[in-house]
Amino acid sequence: MFTQQLINGLALGSVYALIALGYTMVYGILQLINFAHGEVYMLGAYLGIVLLGVMTYYGLTAYSLPLALLLTVSLSMVFCAIYGAVIERIAYRPLRNATKLAPLISAVGMSIILQNIVMLTQGKEYKNLPPQFDSVGFTFLGANVSPVQAFILAASILIMLGLHFFVAKTRMGKAMRATSQDRVMAGLVGININQVISITFMIGSALAAVAGVMVTLYYGVVHFFMGYLAGIKAFTAAVLGGIGSIPGAMLGGVLMGVIETGVSSVTLHLSPTVTLTGSTLRDAVAFAVLILILLVRPAGLLGKAGREKV
Amino acid sequence: MNKIVYVLLISALLGCTHKEENMIRIGAAGPMTGDQSKMGVDLRNAVELAVAEWNAKGGVLGKKIELLAGDDQADPKQAVSIANKFINQKAVALVGHWNSSCSIPTAKYYNDANMVMISPATTNPQFTLQGFKRVFRVCGTDDQQGRVAAEFVLKSIKPKRVAIIHDKTAYGQGLAEYFKKALGKNADVVYEGGILQRDPDYRAVLTTIKQKRPELFFFGGIYPEAGRLVRQAKEIGMNVPMVTGDGVYDPTFIKIAGNEAAEGTYVTFGKEPQGLASAQSFIELYKARYGDPGPYSIYAYDAANILLRSIAETRSTDGSKLAEYISRNTFHGAFGDISFDKNGDVTVAPYVIWQVKNGKFVQIQ
Repeated sequence: MFTQQLINGLALGSVYALIALGYTMVYGILQLINFAHGEVYMLGAYLGIVLLGVMTYYGLTAYSLPLALLLTVSLSMVFCAIYGAVIERIAYRPLRNATKLAPLISAVGMSIILQNIVMLTQGKEYKNLPPQFDSVGFTFLGANVSPVQAFILAASILIMLGLHFFVAKTRMGKAMRATSQDRVMAGLVGININQVISITFMIGSALAAVAGVMVTLYYGVVHFFMGYLAGIKAFTAAVLGGIGSIPGAMLGGVLMGVIETGVSSVTLHLSPTVTLTGSTLRDAVAFAVLILILLVRPAGLLGKAGREKV
Repeated sequence: MNKIVYVLLISALLGCTHKEENMIRIGAAGPMTGDQSKMGVDLRNAVELAVAEWNAKGGVLGKKIELLAGDDQADPKQAVSIANKFINQKAVALVGHWNSSCSIPTAKYYNDANMVMISPATTNPQFTLQGFKRVFRVCGTDDQQGRVAAEFVLKSIKPKRVAIIHDKTAYGQGLAEYFKKALGKNADVVYEGGILQRDPDYRAVLTTIKQKRPELFFFGGIYPEAGRLVRQAKEIGMNVPMVTGDGVYDPTFIKIAGNEAAEGTYVTFGKEPQGLASAQSFIELYKARYGDPGPYSIYAYDAANILLRSIAETRSTDGSKLAEYISRNTFHGAFGDISFDKNGDVTVAPYVIWQVKNGKFVQIQ
């Protein structure tokens, strides 16, 4: 049972981690909390449900599910990447040299605008997607891993490895790290700052799109308000791991998922009539853990505290 | 410029109030947005259909009937504000609300405002036990359906170990408790607990339940949560049937769960209206206007007709008079004859057992 809960937690945590990466990368470069990021994830989930619906209609999911999934994931990544870049261009870039609170407010506004666009065009109703995978998976150390969980775990690991390689080894990755250390200096040595920032937003949004499609497959339900809570949780995960740190966001996301699942699995029978179910206290406990960790490590688990900017 | 706008606005408003006198207003309230939206829309459509039929015949008391629709989003706070809105708009009566958690707190408001309230779907027994004489329902109650479910389970599945989950609402938790009470000492309740509505992930709770090896699990709640529960139970390899109540009786449940996971689920609900001769014209008309009727559409249609008939018969819009007329008479509805007991509950409320077979609800008992 422990392995089963761990796998449930890891699958949920991977989704949080993918969203948290977008928060942490943008924060690392601009010191901006991009509150519209949760909405990009919501857009990804909607694209997932729409694209899969269209593909089911034309028989593509029945013909080859892996091909349909690959198409869905790539198309939503591209679409959301463009969205991310456009949001940056119109809502944040004009305010880059304004007071720090201005882009933050702009982000909140962007989040509300995106929610309303989806609400008006897609409706307030919940949209459902029938299960795409078989429900019966394989057994691993006594736990039943469903195919959709296996897909989420495998895809998340691949993507996170890819991102790590990109940031650590490529020229653009180096430019991103340089920009996050000192934006002005990076500009002076010839790095195109605007391009780096745009690409950061595009990568973060593409990751959120993957998370959105995964959630569509995992839960089969999307609605226009879903980005809010997921965004808050992923942001928390990013803070937990140390905001600005990419491995920190991954660790924070996974931890958040595992803690939530762990709390949800507990049921306390205080008396014959009073029962405390963990699943109803889940969010409270998860945030309590966050506070405890921040009390001990104010910069988060993997964050570097108080780096001097010279 | 501004002054002209104000003058225009005020005269427009005055124009409205003047027209009101020729209208009789009745309300329809339920969750019309959010994940339970289908239920509220089904309800509103059915009331709209009844109102359109009456208006085509010239309305009641020589006045046209106007329908006010109120979306309570299945939220008790929202329901109270809808109640106040209807009262301010001088509605005579109401068909609604859908959720027990919305109907129970609003009953006092409608009753105190001398409005008649008939709920087509509120099954929590407490709804009509608050001592309000203008409050009725045309469906059964959860103590009845909990008992039917428990008797069926004990007879056909004969479980030793049972898990019980509910959504912590007045309806869900109430139903779960009545089911548990009706089980008595005939089966061990190995797990009992609440889940949060709108929470996407129930795998952790289900994994805990699976460990307790129940032979079935009972769920008190509505179809969105029920759909995710069976879907996720199947995924973690928990292959025991779910037994649940009327809130899950809707094709959307099977759509959310997927045919495979929904298969075998037992649901308590009223009898199939399709076979009833009295229901045929309703079903045809509804289909022509809105598509397939929802599970509670026919109840809402009957409730609206009861209200309009009593206004026509008593030649009054006074809530006390209407309530007295309703409680004393038998109505020939689309769903059969309806009469009320002293609390405002229907005298005959037959619950039967349905099961999902090949992606459809089939009446099995």
